[in-house]
Amino acid sequence: MDDHFIEMRSLIKVYPPDTLALDRVDLDIREGEIHSVIGENGAGKSTLMKVLYGMIPTSSGEISFRGRRVRYASPREAVAAGIGMVHQEFMLVPSYTIYENVILGAEPVGRLGALRNAEARRRVRSLIDRYGLNLNIDDRVRDTSVGAQQKVEILKLLYRDVDVLIMDEPTAVLTPQETGELFRRLRDLNAAGKTIIFISHKLDEVLELSDTITVMRRGRRVTTTENRGLGKADLARAMVGRDVVFSVEKPPARCGDVVFEARGLSYVDAGGRQRLDKVSLAVRRGEIVGIAGVEGNGQFELVQLVTGLAPVQSGQVKICGRDVARASVIERRKLMCYVPQDRKASGSAQKMSLTDNSIMTHHRLNQQLESGWRALLSPGKSRRFAQNLVDTFGVLAPSVDAPISSLSGGNQQKVVVGREFLFGADFVLLDQPTRGVDVGSVEFIQREIIRKRGSVGGSAGEGAGVPSAGCLLISADLDELFSLADRILVMHRGRIVADLAPPDTTREEVGEYMLGVREPQTIAPTGAGSGACAGAGACAGAGEGAPAR
Amino acid sequence: MNKNALTALAGIGVALAAGLVILWAQGYPALPSYAALFSYSLFSKFAIVSTLNKATPLILTGLSAAVGFGSNCVNLGQVGQFLIGAMAVSAFGIVCDLPAPVMIPLSIMAALAAGALWAGIAAWLRQRFNMDEFITTLMLNFIADYFTLYLISGPMWDRATYSPMTKMTGSGSWLPMWDGLSAAFVVACIAFVVTWVMWDRSKLGYEWRAMGQNSVFSRVGGCDNEANFTRAMLMSGALAGLAGGLMIMGGMQHRFVKGMGANYAWDGVMIAIVAANGMLPTGLYALFFAAIQTGAMGMELETAVPSEFALVLQAIIVLFVVASRESTRLLINRAAANLRARAAARTAHGGSHGGSRSSGKEGGERSASGH
Repeated sequence: MDDHFIEMRSLIKVYPPDTLALDRVDLDIREGEIHSVIGENGAGKSTLMKVLYGMIPTSSGEISFRGRRVRYASPREAVAAGIGMVHQEFMLVPSYTIYENVILGAEPVGRLGALRNAEARRRVRSLIDRYGLNLNIDDRVRDTSVGAQQKVEILKLLYRDVDVLIMDEPTAVLTPQETGELFRRLRDLNAAGKTIIFISHKLDEVLELSDTITVMRRGRRVTTTENRGLGKADLARAMVGRDVVFSVEKPPARCGDVVFEARGLSYVDAGGRQRLDKVSLAVRRGEIVGIAGVEGNGQFELVQLVTGLAPVQSGQVKICGRDVARASVIERRKLMCYVPQDRKASGSAQKMSLTDNSIMTHHRLNQQLESGWRALLSPGKSRRFAQNLVDTFGVLAPSVDAPISSLSGGNQQKVVVGREFLFGADFVLLDQPTRGVDVGSVEFIQREIIRKRGSVGGSAGEGAGVPSAGCLLISADLDELFSLADRILVMHRGRIVADLAPPDTTREEVGEYMLGVREPQTIAPTGAGSGACAGAGACAGAGEGAPAR
Repeated sequence: MNKNALTALAGIGVALAAGLVILWAQGYPALPSYAALFSYSLFSKFAIVSTLNKATPLILTGLSAAVGFGSNCVNLGQVGQFLIGAMAVSAFGIVCDLPAPVMIPLSIMAALAAGALWAGIAAWLRQRFNMDEFITTLMLNFIADYFTLYLISGPMWDRATYSPMTKMTGSGSWLPMWDGLSAAFVVACIAFVVTWVMWDRSKLGYEWRAMGQNSVFSRVGGCDNEANFTRAMLMSGALAGLAGGLMIMGGMQHRFVKGMGANYAWDGVMIAIVAANGMLPTGLYALFFAAIQTGAMGMELETAVPSEFALVLQAIIVLFVVASRESTRLLINRAAANLRARAAARTAHGGSHGGSRSSGKEGGERSASGH
């Protein structure tokens, strides 16, 4: 029963020119199991699944399914054979109903090309009932939640009768509650006979869900193990190849003066939707304020208003006591560091050199880059500046003249973070600073963030030398927020609904606020202080505690 | 940089070879034609001077397009900016006749300003009404074309002639010639140096290049994209305008004649594309294309190959160079990937033989050994 279900043998995949994504991977998936494939970003887990699913061709190696050698030329063939995949990014038509999305591409067509809707609708409904998906098939996809959209993706595959469901990092976009629901559903599907391949890099989830766990590292399968008596540390060691510290060391926060303040910020977008609703918050020197929330609940607009990419409609934005609501982007950048969300879309110009990418904004603010004339930049000084950044932030790069696209994602992100941290500003805005970055770089970047916050808690002499900054950290990763933030603000529908202190709160509580299940807290208009700082005394006396400017 | 230069040279080489085949297939003496092509463009003093004179407008329209495209301003209005620049210099030279030291700088300024103004209309339409400059610059070409035609066949027509053209400008705005080499070439060279410094060395140029590569990146970085768009458009227009102005100030005619400008503007667009918007490559390709266009006339004299063959050759060069830029990279990468995969497969047999296969039957550890 269990052998010869899916067998992969010596799979090799090289992405041109020479990225060895899969290095002789052998893997067996048994029928009816929940098999997790874990590994860091770039370990090859997604590539392996895309190869199985027919999205990309292998360079060499064999795949057999139910004892027959197969090579799917397209996902369509794979689905027809019974293997389906739910991608990280959903592939749905937002303006179509759930029913229309499900049948799209597999329409029940009668004679003369007429749709035989009644029958198909009955089938889709019965699938929803059978697997308890709790969807209304006439809802438009754009009106449904992310969790529901994921269910639609699964429903699409069930409608096509697949036996194998590949889930590519399905929990990345979900709240803890939605994740719990997804796991229950996957177990139900598994009980109904479906084989599930679950791709993730979150160890807790994998340990909770799977029968078998395969660990991949740098394109190789490191190990495949039954999920019995395994611990997080075992998996992490296998994933990274060394012991991993799960929590970043962080001295207690000692807050100083307010470096950032938003008061009553509201924003209505071009479509007339209220994106921000009287948001007030404050960040003090020496603390990291985290913002949690399901994507699309106003975080994006908040960042736009703070950075000056969108006009402030009503309310106040103050950085270091200066009202910047009407200030230009460059005026604000003199007062703040900003690590943008997406390094490819807004953090860099991929075809430009590392040097050109590292001097952005510095080229206006840092006179050391000028060559004699104010209007001209010195190529030599720019290169030295980039070299310094590379050295300081441990960037692995062939040369500062190479295009930034030749660097790995983690190293690109280090360039972006390094560029921003080299500004001496007292306020740091971090928008998903470690998204899509390998574990090693995540650790490094998180340590840099804490250093930027200021290790005033260290020995007095050392602390005084490190200027401390106030950080506003927007992250979709609750683990990151819990390990970095001194306070967590939760955004829901454009409002800040909770102000929580990590030691006294749980991921579940944050999750409930994110989903709007809990009644919003009443928050002091300044938005400052849930007592997260190391004792009120430290905050009050921060005048002396914070280094003089 | 070096790799790019090699790819470009390879592309040119293959294109010339392809041209040879075309000539041969058409029954022309292929090699003697090429010999004539280059001897009439490079291998005598007269030939070189003709090539440099020909290159003058090409350098400027090429720079104009490169500055535009490289900043992500799709200025396709070189034709119009060229004509308006030429018209401005003609009108100014007809109305005013001052001594050369005053007249020449003023005429150059008029050409720059007129071209910038014409491009500025498109920039303004974009900023004010969000109209795509790709469309507006093209449309402004027609307006400039018919507007100048109206002027030279109506109010500014020189009644002493039988075809539409203006009067000659006063001799104050005429550029000197040295042994046939017009000082216009020197003006173009100065413009080249100024543009190169702007583009590759200045803060503004850095912002334009960043905007051309990723406008979100430059905006987030604090660059004023709106202002930079307008500035780049004005600069692009000014260069094309200067190309037109120098046609009046240099050469022999010193007047706006119907049909002047010919293909210079579109050739500039082509040159910028082949040069991938680099300033130095733009200059070099402008010289190269000028050589081909100049030599083609000699070739027609010597071997009766029609001088239109220059157009064919240019087109082949563009195709080969632009195509080879991407395709050689792709081909090399794919070959490298195959080699790498084969090497990886080889180690599989030598290294962890037999160990990496897991039976999948037994419970407990199913570990791949050998790693």
